[in-house]
Amino acid sequence: MTSLFAFRRFASAFGTAFAVFYVVALKLDLALFTVYPSLGLVVLGTHRARDAVDPALGFLAPAMYWYGWAGSAGCGALVVGLLAALLPEGLARRIWLGRFWVVPMFAMVACVYLTMPWFRL
Amino acid sequence: MMVTALLIIHGLVAVALLGAITHQTLSAWAPVKARPGSFFGRFRTVPPAAFANAVVVLYLAAAVLGGIIYLDFRVDVRPTLEQAGHWQVLGFFDLKEHFVAIGAALLPAYWVCWRRPRDDEPIRARAILTSIIAFIVWWGFLAGHITNNIMGFGA
Repeated sequence: MTSLFAFRRFASAFGTAFAVFYVVALKLDLALFTVYPSLGLVVLGTHRARDAVDPALGFLAPAMYWYGWAGSAGCGALVVGLLAALLPEGLARRIWLGRFWVVPMFAMVACVYLTMPWFRL
Repeated sequence: MMVTALLIIHGLVAVALLGAITHQTLSAWAPVKARPGSFFGRFRTVPPAAFANAVVVLYLAAAVLGGIIYLDFRVDVRPTLEQAGHWQVLGFFDLKEHFVAIGAALLPAYWVCWRRPRDDEPIRARAILTSIIAFIVWWGFLAGHITNNIMGFGA
């Protein structure tokens, strides 16, 4: 039963923290790793092809950051989730979170805002 | 050829997920005392919690398949869409990526809400959480479908 309560705290904290960290990673371009699918290459951190060699490489070998943003957010959320799981039940109950879904909803709105440039082209 | 096969499987998994999450969302919001034999009454006869495991498995399967196909999309498809100026479609597709990631992180909480509910937990929170995931699934399905077919539109 105790482990179930701990998992409940972990689950809600993880979902909430992931949403926040994902938006931060997206806004600040904090990818845990960068994928170059055409080269079959994975590089740690946010990596710009044109920084290293040539601007044309950005077109020939496109970089992908989505996996890295999710990785960054996942690592941060995992830490927050584990900390939440360690909280005493009484305190967690006070913080919890019949409304924890508000944070992911705001995060989705923030994602829409950050994606708006596509719709202005 | 392999990517095409994966894309078709991805689509089929998405259709199954769409059915499960839509059914669950409607039954979560439907009135408890819906008239027997009515549309919502029939929805109510199926316990919505029974969908939770299927939704989690199908969501993860669709996300993993999408994540694999995405590599080829980035190399072979997206440049073509950029050259054709389909910026809005690319925007919708970017939103799909973001929403799917946020939705995947919500799955543990979603599963707990349905499979191990607590007495003092507001039922509305569970319904809203399910609705968020349903919205993400519908968005992902429509954005993926439009992106897949876009070069045929207006051709």
